[in-house]
Amino acid sequence: MSDTTTIDPDLRQQVVDTICELLPRVLKREVTGASETTTLMDDLGMSSTTGLELVLELEDKLEREISVEDMGRDNFETVGSLADYVAGNLLPEE
Amino acid sequence: MTALAAIGTYVPPDRVPIESLADEFELTPMQLRVFRRYHKLGSAAQAPDLSLTELLGLAVADLRLTTEQTARIRYVLYARTFPGVAPYPFNPLHEVCRTFGLQHATAFAVGHHACASGLLAVDLAGRLLASADPSALALVLTGEKAFTGEARFVPETSMFGEGAAACLVSAAGPRDRQLSYVADLRGEFDGELEEVAGEFQRIYHDALGAAVTSAVERAGLTLSDIALILPHNVNVVAWQRVCKRIGYPLDQVLLDHVADYGHVFCADAFLNHRTAVQRSLLRPGDHYVIAAAGAGRGATFSAMVFTH
Repeated sequence: MSDTTTIDPDLRQQVVDTICELLPRVLKREVTGASETTTLMDDLGMSSTTGLELVLELEDKLEREISVEDMGRDNFETVGSLADYVAGNLLPEE
Repeated sequence: MTALAAIGTYVPPDRVPIESLADEFELTPMQLRVFRRYHKLGSAAQAPDLSLTELLGLAVADLRLTTEQTARIRYVLYARTFPGVAPYPFNPLHEVCRTFGLQHATAFAVGHHACASGLLAVDLAGRLLASADPSALALVLTGEKAFTGEARFVPETSMFGEGAAACLVSAAGPRDRQLSYVADLRGEFDGELEEVAGEFQRIYHDALGAAVTSAVERAGLTLSDIALILPHNVNVVAWQRVCKRIGYPLDQVLLDHVADYGHVFCADAFLNHRTAVQRSLLRPGDHYVIAAAGAGRGATFSAMVFTH
């Protein structure tokens, strides 16, 4: 996994914004006030499979593939921690 | 020391794709993509024309028991995920015993460890044989029919496949000797699925990983001594996360059948053992782990260490 200190801050912010935009679609309900500190499982009640749906939706939205080999439950702690992982694990564009 | 003397298996040729469950379980196209992409679930084995008795019988037949071996079988244990597998008064276990001339054996079902009941049955067989005639054998049967919705699909987790395995257990033997067994019973998950699912998912990887590392420790070994893990075929992402937690290489977990067979109830361990032997993934003297987790009115996380 990439070191989070090397992550492009603009890319990370784009991922945070995209996650917040996708949350209502993935959770199939209205989600207001989500930010990078929102906890996905505790605040939003997201399950592990719904978390993986979110990653697939992110791939579609960002039009990039995300490497999930190193992805663990900890990466789904908050919107920000998921954005760290995703921004650091986008596979190179072909 | 308990040993696996021989393993017989049967996996039917028919497959049902995971997409066939979409209507019944209201799975969205995105959920199906998640199952295929991350869980690596693709299809499940199915035997629409075989009864449970026939399914189990095909695994026993694969053992090619001699008359002498049959006479030595003192116990027949049927390890199953679900408490009920046939409508009363049908009893597939006793029907199999009749078919194979095993009426002299004490036959009973082993359960309540859900999909980890197979390991319980092997351990129990070993303990029963330890106080029996040294030549006595036990037969552990596994495999069920995916009759109902609950027996076909575990929400967000897995799809069940049909198949069967028959494992001949001896009190001692030169190969596949059991070094340790750990079963972590978690009664706090005795509740409705929707009430306990979140917490179960939260502790799953740590608990299964802890069962594996405890069993390895109890065997006097370290994870670096373990050549292979034979898992339950629940899905790939669960094992990715367990491996990450305990620091064990995922490519040493035999997950090849997840996408093809599905989760064959308690038979996974034995089907995977057969594959490991066929592919020469286990050499004489190799240590390996069989691990499984089961849920449904409580949860169990189990692991057993063997020397091949």
